[in-house]
Amino acid sequence: MAAIKKHKLRRMWAILSEFLVFTLPLLLFLLILYGTLVWNFYVSMADWVNINVDYTFTGLKWYKFLFGQSRFWVDVQNNLKWLILGVLPTAMAAILLAYLLELAPFRGVEAYVRTLILYPVAMSFVVTGTIWSWMYQPEKGVFNTILGSLGIQSPFTFTNNPDMATYWLIVIFIWQYLGFSVIIVQSSFRTTELQEMIEAATVDGASKIKILFSVIIPNIRAGLMVLVSLLLISSLKVFDIVWIVTRTGPGIATDVLATNMIVTAYDQRLASAGAAIGVIIFLIAFILVIPYTIYAFRKWFE
Amino acid sequence: MKSKNITLKLIVLVVLVVLTCAYILPIYVMMTNSLKTLPEITQRTYLALPRQPQFKNYTDALFGSRDFLIPMKRPIINSTIITVSVTFLTAFFGGIGGYYLSRAKSTFTRIIFILVGIALYLPYQAVIIPLTTITAKTGLINSHLGLILCYMIINVPLASVLMGTFFLGIPRELEEAAEVDGASKIQIFFKVVVPISLPAYASVAIIIFTQVWNEFFIGLTLVTPKTQTVQVAMAMTQGSTISPYNLQMAASLLTVSVPLLIFLFLGRYFIRGVLAGALKG
Repeated sequence: MAAIKKHKLRRMWAILSEFLVFTLPLLLFLLILYGTLVWNFYVSMADWVNINVDYTFTGLKWYKFLFGQSRFWVDVQNNLKWLILGVLPTAMAAILLAYLLELAPFRGVEAYVRTLILYPVAMSFVVTGTIWSWMYQPEKGVFNTILGSLGIQSPFTFTNNPDMATYWLIVIFIWQYLGFSVIIVQSSFRTTELQEMIEAATVDGASKIKILFSVIIPNIRAGLMVLVSLLLISSLKVFDIVWIVTRTGPGIATDVLATNMIVTAYDQRLASAGAAIGVIIFLIAFILVIPYTIYAFRKWFE
Repeated sequence: MKSKNITLKLIVLVVLVVLTCAYILPIYVMMTNSLKTLPEITQRTYLALPRQPQFKNYTDALFGSRDFLIPMKRPIINSTIITVSVTFLTAFFGGIGGYYLSRAKSTFTRIIFILVGIALYLPYQAVIIPLTTITAKTGLINSHLGLILCYMIINVPLASVLMGTFFLGIPRELEEAAEVDGASKIQIFFKVVVPISLPAYASVAIIIFTQVWNEFFIGLTLVTPKTQTVQVAMAMTQGSTISPYNLQMAASLLTVSVPLLIFLFLGRYFIRGVLAGALKG
């Protein structure tokens, strides 16, 4: 009897200690993270203005306040530009470049290009933005100085032109993420099944362009979905580039939800309204990554 | 067939030239101009090499000078303390969390996995107000610890998924053999699994390090002058105080040098980790 009891105790102790060591830490981190998320949601429905921390429930008051502001709709438009132009050109350029590297007839080209376009991954947007904002300067900037020395009167005012500024910011984003995107596409090229299919198509005499569109692209859908999800989220969360290069200017021409959140919550001291913007960004992000989350979940537990 | 090959070669060549220009220019401009004198900068010969390399620019950027009011020394020390601590702690807890996610298959684990998955993409804007409140209320805001904890909370889910992906791929025979020998799960993890997972830990550590070193948004909202991070200091050279380009570029170079060196020497681990997170997760 005693032996069995001892055995049982030991077994219970093992389960408990495994829980304490393996499960509890992750659980605690998640609890804090989701705790702050829920808390923020509550703040967005409260009445917190200035330093008066006021948790009186006000429902959707601050959401209505935001929807009534033209600034919010400028943000939405800009975020849409980011979501479309930050993702599609990057993904397409990455596919073409990765394919070109597969076909590259020179030796060493691939290693060279990889290092060349991948180094920005290690750089922060703060530094990249600092360099690019200097390059973009209309009068003393690098681009216009180079054009000037070539005898060309530059027509570009880059981020100083309110109508074009967001597009020039997106160029920096694409520049920074291209290398990263290429290696993701490349690694989804390199499955044996796909290589065999490409070989078979080549033997059948299909052109290289045809192979790209009818063999490769349909067969790397999973890799592309991952890439597009990552780019969508990164362009939705964009904050650093805007903050550093234009600080939402000229005026509020380049403002996005993420920058508006900081301005609202910390400069205008409307904590509840800022929290509401945070909730909105979260909801958009949540919807955007649903396909990816399902894919990852299936793959993990298959 | 031959003419086709020539077109291909031409296309590759054009692409190579365009990419080389686009990717060398920013870093070339940063490096060369960080070594120039102010008069050289005002002459706007940006593409020329410095006439005489001004290494003093770096000490000016580090310790501050009349032209450069944001000495980078303190922020670099702050960022080093914060980033190194976060990297070690996050890799440790990420390993544990990842092992749990990769070995348990209960419904509870599935729920945790989904929560982790969403946390990977959580926009910081959605949690920053409570984080500010907590760190301010507990007094952690004036210490490195506050930032370390915040960065850990945000990065442990990512590290767990990256490590878990690796653990899913290692054969179970080793663990089963150890279990037959009577080792507990905890012993198995630390004595059998961790030692063979060191390359994966390296990948994760490098990714977390780069991410935390380069993080700006949380730094901007949570730091106080005492805990200012490099990115926040760097942003100040662009914002409130206008700095001459040569010193600003010297400061930029100091800021990127740490992750860039890691990338150049340990790029292999970096890429492997990024791919693991992106594809298999």
